[in-house]
Amino acid sequence: MYSLLIKHFFRSKTVWLAFGILMFLGVLSISMGKQFLNQKQATIAKTAEQQQKHIETQTKLYEDDIGLLLYYLKFSFVNPVEPLAGVSMGQSDVNAHIQNVSILNLEGQKYDTDLVNPMRLQVGNLDISFLIIFLFPLIIIALSFNILSEEEEKGTWKMITTQGISPFKFLLKKLSIRVVFIYIALSILLLLAKIVLGIPFSIAFLQIVIISYLYILFWFALCLFVILLRKSSNTNAITLLTSWLILVVFLPVLVNNYVSNKYPVEEAFAMTIKQRDAYHTKWDTDKKETMEKFYNHYPQFRKYELKETGFSWLWYYAMQQMGDDESKAERDAMFAKIQKRQELSARIAQFFPPLQVQLSMNTIANTDLSNYVAFLNETTKFHEDIRLQLYPKIFENQPASSVNWKNYKPIFFEHQNNFNMLKSIFSLLLSTLILVGLGVFRNLKYFR
Amino acid sequence: MKNNAIILIGTQFFKKTFYTKGLFVLLSLFLAVLAYVTISGWNAYQASHHVVEHHQESSRKSWEENPDKHPHRMAHFGTFAFRAQHPLRIFDSGIESYTGNSIFLEAHRQNTANFSEASLSTGLVRFGDLNVAMLLQLILPLIIFFIGYASITAERENGTLKIMYIQGTPLHKVLLGKALGLFLVSSLFFLPSLLALWSVSFIENHTPNSAIVIRSLFISVGYIVFFMILCCITVIVSAKSTNSNKALLSLLASWLLFFIIIPKTAQVVGNSLYPNLSKIEFKAVIEEEVTKQGDSHNPDDPYFNAVRDSVLKANNVTDVKDLPFNYSGFIMSKGEKQTALIYNDQHKKLIKTYERQNSITDNLVLINPYLAIKNLSMSLAGTDFYTYTNFLAQTEKYRYQQSQYLNELQMKFISNKATSSEGKINVVDKSYWKSAPTFSYKYVSIVDTISNQIIAIIALIIWLLLTIVYITKFTNRFKII
Repeated sequence: MYSLLIKHFFRSKTVWLAFGILMFLGVLSISMGKQFLNQKQATIAKTAEQQQKHIETQTKLYEDDIGLLLYYLKFSFVNPVEPLAGVSMGQSDVNAHIQNVSILNLEGQKYDTDLVNPMRLQVGNLDISFLIIFLFPLIIIALSFNILSEEEEKGTWKMITTQGISPFKFLLKKLSIRVVFIYIALSILLLLAKIVLGIPFSIAFLQIVIISYLYILFWFALCLFVILLRKSSNTNAITLLTSWLILVVFLPVLVNNYVSNKYPVEEAFAMTIKQRDAYHTKWDTDKKETMEKFYNHYPQFRKYELKETGFSWLWYYAMQQMGDDESKAERDAMFAKIQKRQELSARIAQFFPPLQVQLSMNTIANTDLSNYVAFLNETTKFHEDIRLQLYPKIFENQPASSVNWKNYKPIFFEHQNNFNMLKSIFSLLLSTLILVGLGVFRNLKYFR
Repeated sequence: MKNNAIILIGTQFFKKTFYTKGLFVLLSLFLAVLAYVTISGWNAYQASHHVVEHHQESSRKSWEENPDKHPHRMAHFGTFAFRAQHPLRIFDSGIESYTGNSIFLEAHRQNTANFSEASLSTGLVRFGDLNVAMLLQLILPLIIFFIGYASITAERENGTLKIMYIQGTPLHKVLLGKALGLFLVSSLFFLPSLLALWSVSFIENHTPNSAIVIRSLFISVGYIVFFMILCCITVIVSAKSTNSNKALLSLLASWLLFFIIIPKTAQVVGNSLYPNLSKIEFKAVIEEEVTKQGDSHNPDDPYFNAVRDSVLKANNVTDVKDLPFNYSGFIMSKGEKQTALIYNDQHKKLIKTYERQNSITDNLVLINPYLAIKNLSMSLAGTDFYTYTNFLAQTEKYRYQQSQYLNELQMKFISNKATSSEGKINVVDKSYWKSAPTFSYKYVSIVDTISNQIIAIIALIIWLLLTIVYITKFTNRFKII
């Protein structure tokens, strides 16, 4: 029985066409992922060399004024791109991967973007996660929308029911061939991605694999549910396609629109103006007052006193610090808004598998917004570390050669995402079970 | 009375479809979403307009509130340019979510435009933007396919096509009639959408030099032509297919191909063929170019030493301190000019690279009417790539103007013996801050927009002519039974 069904399945031209499309786009998307990784990694690889060169030229130019030298000197902080980012690029093409900051006011520097073509961003990426979320469901629908209705329309269904085999088992057999076929196609692509992108066999990769398989199963469950409504092939096709259109195309856009309109992040503008004003007004206000604020933030520097007249780097860097310190309220408000956006997105997404899968994959691949926010926060720490190391040198006006510049190499950010596998697949599993359960329950009397 | 048959078939198809239950559900859903999208888009536009205006004012206010100061302090105090949106972005938001909204403009430093909507959003933003144009470009074509896929095949399956033919209606008239009917049905969807466009256009008409009415006019005509093309194609596919099932599948497959896969692949391939520099590389190139030509910040730079010597000679003095103007202001204005030239040169190259990346998509406009309407609509709504680069160019021009204004103040009013920009000694009167130039963003002129999109316009016209000619000349041999 099985072998006949399999033969029948592979006779259909649609099957080979579907397989061809999947493989072609799969290879294309993997090579795009590879290229993305290569570009990012090449840039990251160059930073160490660039920083070394940069430090060498600048220290030569300003060797007798360390305060001025550090006005120009930039240090790199790198958010490395993991191979998994080639599977799910997420927001990693929108947000910068390398922070190149001087010890001046940080808030004026850390949101600088990389150079990316906005047209490319708008069209979006063609990565494997897109293929899985967007295209696989369509292929599943095309392969299985008429497996029951076709038999009924051709009149072969009656023959099956009269042959004494369980029609339910027969239907399941037909569907299982399709599930296996799609799983094989998906496995080929994931294996190819693993090899080409150099993904290590880790828990993260396994999680992506499991989520993908479950997502595929969800679509088969939806198909089964619609098939068991026992409508005509045309109705099935339209019902399934409409569900696809709503779940994959329409809802994500609607949800995003809702989230971004509900929480507009206008605080970003307020923050950016505030950090400028807070620093610049200090040129015209009482120096002692500025210094007092600075000493309060860093009591360990109280021992460096401000000379009565003339320019001093101590005062200058204290002023710069005020830009960061006094824009804190606006900054916190901005990050609170972003946090709200994330929470709301996640809350809504758990009800809709395509959204949930996209967000989960981005989280696992460390290409989501929370990774970027964590990177920004870590940049603040990185910036402070460097400042605290170099402040005493400036305040004591030591020569530039007193610093061992060789120690200042780019630092890499390490991020531990707090991805909760169970939580993110729970609703996926539940909706799959409900769909199958409902479909079967409605048809119990036929499937004795 | 020759065309009576076409009109008869058209109205009959319209009436028949109009009274089906499915259409009513679909239409009410579409209209509900349209209403939501328009209202929320409008609110968002007004909120953002308000936010931009408010912050533009508040940043200007704090600029003007500066006390008497050394001009170079003001040069680094800098100004912000916030991108003002075109009111038609309510209709089509184009690439706006991906372009930076605020840019900090200071002396001798070109900053990036930051805080794009996408950079502050979760990964969901990558599914696309919801606006009226998205409904018209992606969803309505599918609806047209759903409604029209069986327009001819059903008649053939019922045998009515045969009867019509025997009664003297040639096949091409049946097709034209069906296309007309389908177009009438689709107008139930797109006319309200265009109504949304026109209401934006009339109410936001006060926005200066936005050319909003002409733009809306072009958009309306563009979409009407686009839907005519789609209706013709749907009917042709239906006539060519042996049964309704196949017609539906072919239409859906072409939707997937033309609306999703081709646009995505084209842009992605363009990017990999013409990779652009990363920001660090870009800055390194500029830095290198500056050291090559002369670095005004380097006291031993040969180029700027030569400039100094020639200035000393021209003024018949031996020390820069004896010059009749502030020397460091002078050197900064020279340095600004030189770095701005280098930057603009490199920035033009970058934009050229972006344009090359987009060129594949731009050329595909000719074979893909979806891309044609997408580009056209985006341009007319003032949310396209050109508008964005134009914004960047305007900010850079303003930045240069402002820096040079402050350098001139320094040359004129600051003593040549001044050693520091600090404190109340070497200052310029604060009234000069008020008279500094302000940034006012100008929308791209409609003439530029049209000339940029001339290929898209031609492509749409050619497609319409081709499909109509195809129906009238080549469909009479299609199978009737």
